Amino acid sequence: MVKLKEIPRTATFAWSPGAQLPFIATGTVAGAVDADFSSKSVLELWDLNLVDKSTNGFQLSSPVVSVGTDARFHDLIWGAVNTSHPNGIIAGAQENGTLVLWDPDALTKDPNSSPLLSSTQHTGAIKSLDFNTVQANLLASAGSKGEILVWDLDKPGSPLTPGTASSRLDEVESVAWNSSVAHILATGGNTGFTSIWDLKNKREVLHLFYPGSGGGGRRGVSSVVWHPDNSTKLITASEDDNAPVILMWDLRNANAPEKILSGHDKGILSLSWCKRDGDLLLSSGKDNRTLLWNPQSGDVLGEFPIATNWTFETRWYDRNPELFATASFDGKISVQSIQNANKPDQVAAAPKPEGNDFWNAPSYVDTQQPTFSLKQPPRWLRRPVGASFGFGGKLVSLQLDKSQTPATKSTVKINRFVIEPKSASETEKFKE
Amino acid sequence: MAAIGSLHNDVIHDAVLDYYGKRLATCSSDKTIKIFEIDGDNHKLIETLQGHEGPVWQVSWAHPKFGVILASCSFDGKVLIWREDESTKNWSNIAQHATHTESVNCVQWSPPELGAVLVCGSSDGNVSVVEFNDDGNTSAVTIHAHSGAVYAAVWAVSGTVTKRFATGGSDGLIKIWTYDAASNNYVEEAVLEGHSDWVRDLAWAPSVLPKAYLASASEDKTVIIWTQEQSNAAWKKQVLKAPGGDKFPETVWRVSWSLSGNVLAVSCGDNKITLWKENLKGEWEECGSIDE
Repeated sequence: MVKLKEIPRTATFAWSPGAQLPFIATGTVAGAVDADFSSKSVLELWDLNLVDKSTNGFQLSSPVVSVGTDARFHDLIWGAVNTSHPNGIIAGAQENGTLVLWDPDALTKDPNSSPLLSSTQHTGAIKSLDFNTVQANLLASAGSKGEILVWDLDKPGSPLTPGTASSRLDEVESVAWNSSVAHILATGGNTGFTSIWDLKNKREVLHLFYPGSGGGGRRGVSSVVWHPDNSTKLITASEDDNAPVILMWDLRNANAPEKILSGHDKGILSLSWCKRDGDLLLSSGKDNRTLLWNPQSGDVLGEFPIATNWTFETRWYDRNPELFATASFDGKISVQSIQNANKPDQVAAAPKPEGNDFWNAPSYVDTQQPTFSLKQPPRWLRRPVGASFGFGGKLVSLQLDKSQTPATKSTVKINRFVIEPKSASETEKFKE
Repeated sequence: MAAIGSLHNDVIHDAVLDYYGKRLATCSSDKTIKIFEIDGDNHKLIETLQGHEGPVWQVSWAHPKFGVILASCSFDGKVLIWREDESTKNWSNIAQHATHTESVNCVQWSPPELGAVLVCGSSDGNVSVVEFNDDGNTSAVTIHAHSGAVYAAVWAVSGTVTKRFATGGSDGLIKIWTYDAASNNYVEEAVLEGHSDWVRDLAWAPSVLPKAYLASASEDKTVIIWTQEQSNAAWKKQVLKAPGGDKFPETVWRVSWSLSGNVLAVSCGDNKITLWKENLKGEWEECGSIDE
């Protein structure tokens, strides 16, 4: 794990979804003030330029695009890639209740181009957004006063509500679409309840509550994420400083959490479940720490360098989850990789240019200390099958031995493959 | 057909016969490499190579003119070179290349005419070309090849032998690189766009004709055959029609050409391996398969 890049902003952010080079969109975060107490709020696009591994390339200085906005952001997402938007759509949840959609390509061409949509259907602040991964034209938004809206991007004028909640909703902090069932939505908020909505029947199917370890503390749910492959599993995080736990639920028995992950010292503010490997979960929170878990086993796989203030948001780069980023109230978004193969001593500490105090600022010097490297390789690297040809019409095949699940053994076979009888006999003659 | 049962105590990631088809090398998540003597249908384990600190992803036999030499790459970020001593027949690790900061996902020896040269691709986005000179020292060149991880790097095989290779990565791109003597480095010759997700594997068809065949396997469950009539002509692409439509059921992990370069073995995440041949109309047809 080593810090690759840093964006000097106190902002909520979103990774670019497409295949092109990685970008990060940032929106000035609501509820925080910069040193200069300016009330300005901007949406910015940053080219990470990962090829530049030099020391002065570490901190990104200027965004590719910077657009003033009238209100700050609680959440920012970038998705819904389709033919009309090859580089997706950026959606911003503003503290004044406005939902704003931008086309990143249009912004790059002309930063003052007007947004695709600017809607004030929400009467209170919007806290969380999510694009539906199964039906790319659906967007869910949730926020204050228990307001939850589902938008069809093709006709954004008339968003729907998912139905009436059984328990009184207040501040809905997090909304998330199920990863494989298009009409199932989860929301969590400061009442401590997590609601599961069925949009086909427009009603709340289930609500999950964990009384926690006694004590009357407020057990708000700060974040809800669905399992990337298993449609009945989800994880919620508690922002309660007394019981900062991560709860894994299986909806087939929703009375109690299936697993409780404890490791944070203070309330958790953000979760991100790796879409390409369900055994990798990121969490960050008020203890300024970012932890990597294996939710299946409940183990903490590692911890990343501590920020100097709350790490309020952490997100995998879904396109290439070797990378993830964490935003902190210490004014930095740090882009990191989950692996640092060479031991610290082998990684030459970046030479500090002398005589220039700026480079000795803590943000630069201590952040090059890798403290953790993933021991077990992520699933996407573990190639299970292969074939290669050999002299004399041989074909070596390599396949998983599926007699036990999960398969941890392989079978190798050396087959004779004959396509044209003519060529096989020639190699036989040749071998004598 | 010789089936070699549970030989490693974890998943195996690569299995390759040597030049004469007499030795088989396998590498696994149990961090070891095993060498077998193959004689007809029976096999005998003759060595277990230990040294990597992480799962070993790929192995590559050097051309016999350099001796009995094997290169291996691993999640531990290292490339190790192993050699069997002629007389004692003992294997030992004779060299190491450890400049990458993340998993090294692929390694391949160059055509022998170029000397003992390795190309390796890593999750840190870089490709390194390591040349082992006769006097024992090595010289390495590093190229930032892809914005994400590099999953495939394969040497070009064509009539005239040139220092040229292709890479594929998590940005979905395939890039062709050619050696530029002036800058003593490899420069980007072409970028092939066609996959919508990671490029998992590449295979350059062995042929002496000027027409180049490059197969690519991708996380987007498709295989593309790229052809170039002669060097610096444009590359044409043709998506392989999979059994059930144009997509395979799962991620396509590997593609490899037969020694004569006319049959392609496609290894898919559904644990099935299918064989393909180009028919007279230039379409690719399935001509065999290996079930579980």
